[in-house]
Amino acid sequence: MAAVSQGFKTDLLGAIPSLRAFAVSLAQNADKADDLVQETLVKAWDKHESFQPGTNIKAWLFTILRNEFYSQMRKRGREVQDSDGIMTARLAVHPAQHGQLDLKDFRGALEQLPEDQREAIILIGASGFSYEEAAEICGCAVGTIKSRVSRARTRLQEILKISGEDEYGPDAISAQVTGSPAH
Amino acid sequence: MKDMTKDILAGVAGRRRDGSGDPLGPNSEIGRKLKQYYDELVSDDVPDRFAQLLSQLEQAEPAQKKD
Repeated sequence: MAAVSQGFKTDLLGAIPSLRAFAVSLAQNADKADDLVQETLVKAWDKHESFQPGTNIKAWLFTILRNEFYSQMRKRGREVQDSDGIMTARLAVHPAQHGQLDLKDFRGALEQLPEDQREAIILIGASGFSYEEAAEICGCAVGTIKSRVSRARTRLQEILKISGEDEYGPDAISAQVTGSPAH
Repeated sequence: MKDMTKDILAGVAGRRRDGSGDPLGPNSEIGRKLKQYYDELVSDDVPDRFAQLLSQLEQAEPAQKKD
């Protein structure tokens, strides 16, 4: 077994904040998230030889973490989401007022999404991955990621009662602003 | 109400300017919240256990470099 390089260790350390954020987004529970991160680091260390230097280590680590999450979920018979998470999801969500949306409401809405949609919108909208990278991490087609992101976004808008942000074209918006009827 | 109008106008201008119409971009409320949610998680303090774990893995590693 080849020695693990210092660079690899440094990369792992540097990726921990992102891994934890992704893990919390998936597991919706801080303790389970940290267990997932720990498991990911051990797995990554064990199979460091399968990492191709020069490729995106963050994407590689996210893939390991995601696989670990789903394999734990299968083992536990989908008991991954705990009752705390479900409670939060049931809290009333108020309509956004003047575009000021409470972060707590947003978190509650995110929890209500199915896992596949939640991970897709997180990878694309927050973690900064491209559609191609997200497809690789999730082991599916780019088109699948695109449709999951789009469904997630629509669902979040429904839950949070945000009127469709670009269902209205610029004409509809300027009509609202000037008060003249849209044709 | 004035602010809201300003926001809408800014949103339209922004969309026209960058021309991308990115559905999760800075003009999208969902996109902004998503980043706020995630950035808060990323900036959370990392517990020591992770650095300790990596040190343990490093020490446990059987084959040290021999060159």
